[in-house]
Amino acid sequence: MGKIDEIYDTLLKIERDKKEGVSAIDIAEIIRLDRSNVSRYLNKLYKQKRLEKIDGRPVLYRSMNTKDKERNNPKIDLLQENSLEKIVGAKQSLAVPIEKAKAAIMYPPRGLHTLLLGGTGVGKSMFAELMYQYARETQVIDKEAPFIRFNCADYVDNPNLLIAQIFGVKKGAYTGADRDKDGLLKQADRGILFLDEIHRLSPQGQEMLFTYIDNGFFRPLGETENLIYVNVRIIAATTENPKSYLLHTFTRRIPMIITLPTLQERSLSERYSLIETFIKEESHRVGKSIYINKNSIISYLLYDCPNNIGQLRSDIQLGCAKAFLNYKSNTNSYLLINQGDLPNHVRKGILKIKEHRNEIDELLSSTYDVLRFSQKEQQIQLNYEKETIGEDFYNIIEEKINSLKKIGMDDQDINEILNIDIESHFEKYIGAITQRFRKDEINNIVDNEILIVVEEILLLAQKNLEKDFDEKIYFGLSFHLERSIERIKKREKIYNPKLNFIRINHEEEFLFAMKAAKIIDSKFNIETPVDEIGYLAMFFAADSYGENKEEEPKVGVIVAMHGKSTASSMVEVVNSLIGTEHVVSLDMPLTMKPQIMYEITKNKIQEIDKGKGVVMLVDMGSLTTFGDMIWEETGIEVRTIDMVSTPIVLDVCRKAIMGYSLDEIVDSFNKENLYSKGSVNKRVYKKDIIITACFTGEGSSKKIASIVKSKLNNENIDILPMNILDKKSFEDRVNNLKEKYTILAIVGTVGIQLEGIPFVSAIEILNNSGIETLNNIINEEEMYEKIGSSLKEHLVNIDGSVISKEAKALIRDIEKKLKVNVPLDVKMGITLHTCFLIDNLLSGVVLRKFEELEAFRNEYIDEMNLVKKCLRTMEVKYGILIGDNEIAYIVKLFIENNNSVQ
Amino acid sequence: MYNILLVCSGGMSTSLLVTKMEKSAKDQGIEVSIKAIGEADLKNNSENIDILLLGPQVKYILPRIKEKMESKGTIVDVINTVDYGTMNGEKVLNHAISMIQNK
Repeated sequence: MGKIDEIYDTLLKIERDKKEGVSAIDIAEIIRLDRSNVSRYLNKLYKQKRLEKIDGRPVLYRSMNTKDKERNNPKIDLLQENSLEKIVGAKQSLAVPIEKAKAAIMYPPRGLHTLLLGGTGVGKSMFAELMYQYARETQVIDKEAPFIRFNCADYVDNPNLLIAQIFGVKKGAYTGADRDKDGLLKQADRGILFLDEIHRLSPQGQEMLFTYIDNGFFRPLGETENLIYVNVRIIAATTENPKSYLLHTFTRRIPMIITLPTLQERSLSERYSLIETFIKEESHRVGKSIYINKNSIISYLLYDCPNNIGQLRSDIQLGCAKAFLNYKSNTNSYLLINQGDLPNHVRKGILKIKEHRNEIDELLSSTYDVLRFSQKEQQIQLNYEKETIGEDFYNIIEEKINSLKKIGMDDQDINEILNIDIESHFEKYIGAITQRFRKDEINNIVDNEILIVVEEILLLAQKNLEKDFDEKIYFGLSFHLERSIERIKKREKIYNPKLNFIRINHEEEFLFAMKAAKIIDSKFNIETPVDEIGYLAMFFAADSYGENKEEEPKVGVIVAMHGKSTASSMVEVVNSLIGTEHVVSLDMPLTMKPQIMYEITKNKIQEIDKGKGVVMLVDMGSLTTFGDMIWEETGIEVRTIDMVSTPIVLDVCRKAIMGYSLDEIVDSFNKENLYSKGSVNKRVYKKDIIITACFTGEGSSKKIASIVKSKLNNENIDILPMNILDKKSFEDRVNNLKEKYTILAIVGTVGIQLEGIPFVSAIEILNNSGIETLNNIINEEEMYEKIGSSLKEHLVNIDGSVISKEAKALIRDIEKKLKVNVPLDVKMGITLHTCFLIDNLLSGVVLRKFEELEAFRNEYIDEMNLVKKCLRTMEVKYGILIGDNEIAYIVKLFIENNNSVQ
Repeated sequence: MYNILLVCSGGMSTSLLVTKMEKSAKDQGIEVSIKAIGEADLKNNSENIDILLLGPQVKYILPRIKEKMESKGTIVDVINTVDYGTMNGEKVLNHAISMIQNK
């Protein structure tokens, strides 16, 4: 008997007493072998799949057999419903699929690989996920076991990459494989790998997959030596007809085949449950009850719905969206879905009523003519799910810090996010507790000793801080204290990222919290750390948090992305990290038409706009254009940021919550240019206007307006009369106008100097020289427009119309700083020069040196410095460095041309 | 064969115009040699030029250059602002050629 078998037998013996597993030391003690040697053998046994390894300290092993034994007596509470059984139709059309799915999961020793069949939208992905849930619930796989989903259609153009994704790749296996990479199969070890649209897998990929299915091992692409063993259950899915040639190999090699029924094959009562579920979902989303008349329900029940549940769902969303429009125009507190709100093809469903009269009567006999679905029922459930009373602050905060770090946030940002989070969490904490417990009940939950101390502290607080504390604080503090004392005793770290904020803004409460801490310390014989004192202070300052709650309206944030759940899952992450519901998500399934998505988006934006505007974060395609269109149509200011990622959403959300304005959010994003790929779309087409303004009131500014209008005689330009009552609000109004218009000039009786807007005095207008000035300005503007649009096709790295506007501002700036004036044609030349300069710098083109730079610099040192400052914005925006040679060229252009004018 | 020289500041913005003029010349079947330079390089490139065109932003050198170049039989002119701004190679080329022919 080899050493290795001896060790295996020993393990089997010990294992009977040590159910949790056997460590190397246990064995080493019995057979008197060095521990590290035993470890080595154990590892070998593990690799041979004879042992199971339980990571930890020390690492424990147990034989595969024990696990199988356990599996034969799975710890399932048969009375309890599991995930699979909660699904709509579990006792009807899905009864057989569910039985099969359970068998596939439970089948010893490692379950059966499964192939899910069914048309588009029957719910294959959801079913796979429920199988995974079921596997966890029955403890067939670990609670932390991975569930990895992968759509083979995503890589259909590149079979190598597809295989590399699934099986991993060895460096150099194909061009572009520049390093070793684990595949999904490896990542899914001990869990489930869901491969959607499996028929897209190339023959080579299929062969590799079958090798794994038959033997339990595979080789990464390009790997010649080592085999990789994993324990992964494969769930594959396809819409292909099972009889097709393509699927033949799959059905032959994959042992368990489950076919999901089409919507047509499901009973009407199941379909009714589905409709109910989806309407409730919508109700929850819009935050209103939804009423639907009976005929509409009947239509939804009977219409032809070839793309199954997926389509049913989006058709319901569509109906709700239409109804929502009507809701906006009247003041009911609910949405009412009428026949008229349904998409055409759905409406036709009612025509089939004759054939189904009996079933429908049976199904809807007990209902009124209008059915009501309320979001409330579901919300209660959701709240319940999100209940976090059982956890304490600290764990939540630590978890969040870790996950924020993982996605690459820096410490300062993390702190800011946590600041927001703590407050909102704190409110929930206090609020939730009071809802759930009455005073006499609290004795059963919190230690009496703690309650006495809390009462003592609160009495003292009432005197010291001269304010009353209600039950909420009493309960909240009691709960909190119980956990914090426990934590301090266990010497676990307490971290309060808001500490400094509290110290500064709630000084009194903080001082009192120090006193309270002393009382606590002496009673429980602990030492309360300063971070914890900060938390205590938050309780004493609790009222002021409440007051802050309904503060200023905030900029709305909406994330809209392609895919069934891309946006919603990203938003879920962000909202839960920041502890808010502020960000709204809109998913755009690939089957959804842009027009429909547009309506939904528009409605949502109207709903969430609080007068501060909305930031729209999108991935790509038609979604990038919605913002401007909605702005145009509704007048709600919408800014779009495309190519979003989770850190971008986090950043925007944080800033919105902290009360940043729309401009600040978008600009900061723009300037920092933190995430190189994200770009900001500003609205491009702005109408040109001239403002006329008077102190004396609107009458005279209107008069000037009509004179300017008739003298200019230019239809493309609007003249807008305004009154100046006070300068500050005038400036604000002008700044607002800037968003929508290009303000060419202000004409007025008194000089008004606003940044970047030329002023023409009313007197000059009357003697015609002012009109000439205005015409020059108009020509100039038109010229820049022309340059901008023609540059569009010539510049490689930048947008012509944007850069030409920036160049215009730059030239004005330099003219002012250098106190020079250059003629219009020169300005245009300089504009081109600048645009190409930036573009060339971005392309890395080597530029010509300025001749005799030293001498020039000595003569024009001040000018050089001034221009350098003016160029700073460009440098920052485009991330370039503009050197002295380039600056000298520009300075020379201004100086020489100024001289030649005079 | 016409020799055309474009001059701007550092050769930054005329390079593209050259490409567009060359393309237009090819389309029309006209034989040309077109070059773009910065004003500082002028002294090394002033021989055998039929026409010398300035970008509007360097028109300040016009008086100086005109005197020097016209004695060598070179026409000197400033490029039309709009044609320049919109990088209209065809128009600039045709204008240059008609000036040479009408000399």
